Amino acid sequence: MFAFSSNRPALPPELAARLRPVALANSRRVPLGEPWGALVPGGGLRRGSTVLVQARAGWGGLSLALSLLTGASARGHWSGVVGVEDPGVVAMADLGLDLRRVLFVPRPYGAWAESAADLLDGVDLLVVRPPARVAHAAARRLSDRARERGVVLIVLGEPDAAWPLAGELSFNVTRAQWSTSSRLDARYLTVRIEGRGETRSAEHIVMLPDRRGRAAAS
Amino acid sequence: MVRLLVIWVDALVLEAPDGSTWRDYLTLFEALELLCPFTEPVRLGLFALPVRAPSRFFGGEDAVLKVVGQTVRDVTGHEARLGVADGLFCAERAARQGVVVAPGQSEAFRRAQPLSTLGRSDLATTGRRLGLHTVGSFADLSSARVLERFDARIVVLHRVARGELGELAGQRDARMGERLARVRGDVRGTDVQQGFFGQRGANDERAAAAAHRIRRRLGASEVCVGALRAGRAPEDRAVLVPWGSPESPPDRGAPWPGRLRAPVPATTFAHPVAIELRDAEDRSVRVGARGLLSAAPVSLLFSARTRREVTWYAGPWLTLERWWSAPRRRAHLQVVLASGEALLAVAESSRWWLVGLYD
Repeated sequence: MFAFSSNRPALPPELAARLRPVALANSRRVPLGEPWGALVPGGGLRRGSTVLVQARAGWGGLSLALSLLTGASARGHWSGVVGVEDPGVVAMADLGLDLRRVLFVPRPYGAWAESAADLLDGVDLLVVRPPARVAHAAARRLSDRARERGVVLIVLGEPDAAWPLAGELSFNVTRAQWSTSSRLDARYLTVRIEGRGETRSAEHIVMLPDRRGRAAAS
Repeated sequence: MVRLLVIWVDALVLEAPDGSTWRDYLTLFEALELLCPFTEPVRLGLFALPVRAPSRFFGGEDAVLKVVGQTVRDVTGHEARLGVADGLFCAERAARQGVVVAPGQSEAFRRAQPLSTLGRSDLATTGRRLGLHTVGSFADLSSARVLERFDARIVVLHRVARGELGELAGQRDARMGERLARVRGDVRGTDVQQGFFGQRGANDERAAAAAHRIRRRLGASEVCVGALRAGRAPEDRAVLVPWGSPESPPDRGAPWPGRLRAPVPATTFAHPVAIELRDAEDRSVRVGARGLLSAAPVSLLFSARTRREVTWYAGPWLTLERWWSAPRRRAHLQVVLASGEALLAVAESSRWWLVGLYD
């Protein structure tokens, strides 16, 4: 009410531009860790969005999905992982995840969608590796619920067993190359990041894992 | 199977309401631990210790029996019954009868036990009607016949009877460590996992509620958190513990010479998959006594007879662990397949296992 009263002097325009509620949009994003912060538009994943991670078997899809959790995990957010049967806990610790705030449901059997829905109430990011075929209705229900709860749903899959819905953001691993010495040193992943709407698709090369087991820009 | 000395103290089997049984048990446990650091509190009234190392130290099994018997007499004032045999099941039977089974005779000793010693009265009754009176006659049934007629627990008992497993399912008290810690007055072992500095915020409560809901849906052990233990190989260090279980002692970051360095596989199998590695002439690749491969691996065979081409490998890295009690000799090998997948394989007792996937 005071802002519109006539006896109040008008704000200088450059100050008015800075006073617009820009912080609100930022807080609606879950921060990403290295190196994704610089590669993903906005530097974070929008809350309530569905993110697709697609890679052929053994091409680092799981590592990529887990590396998307690191930034949030470092700030005390909880995350959940459904349907990843034998997660490499050491690799996750090396990536920089706080293991005390990651809940695993390794073997949900037939109830993967229900387990994922249960976890959506308690976590800020959820990685789901669904079984081979997902019904359109189940996928729709889960992503609607994620949107309602403000949780980032990260769906991990292979390119030919695709999630029936389009995601707001998708990470496609198009190439995986190991650099070796007397042992495996680092893996260079070529990742195509595509977004809906304002973001254009772009290809980036990242090291995942690098020599210390972390994700890094190459 | 490990040759065990079992110490059976009759007076300490039943728990007294004033807690004196537990205190006596703990005192005796601490005394026995001084004799042999590998002494294990199996359950109330019962201890087991691997007999090989102390018999070397004291000069023979008889000397160990004498020292242990004297210790029990001095500490508690009761007479202990001692028995030595292979595996916990046989060793406990031997202790109840107070016999030392000679090395190599455990098989015959086990087969001679009455069927009721396996701890299932229904099995004993059915066995009697079928004319099976001893553990040995039950062991002679083929596994397929047992699987047809009995439930899964009896199938496990059948494996014990055949000597494939060393102990019965309920023979150890799983809560022994926790209860002894409580008697000691050390209640740290029963803490539930907490956040940073023990704080619990609103989002922690929310996550706990969600975990509870899944536990109700799927079962208590289906929601897990990861924990790191000390060790060398990634498959030893990584464990998934059910959510809300007591916090395990953390990895203190002590140096482990020979630890596998990063990067480590993003998938480490809780149950390794058997594989085969073949060289150019289709012979199995072996790890020799000096830790070298017999030949360069060219192809990798999964158990389903699917052959994959190996384009690159590194290693083997040999680890020799626990050489003082239960020696374990392993060699790790990193393998890259033609499809671009990288795997971590391990050779143990001349077989190859797939333990990790760099997914």
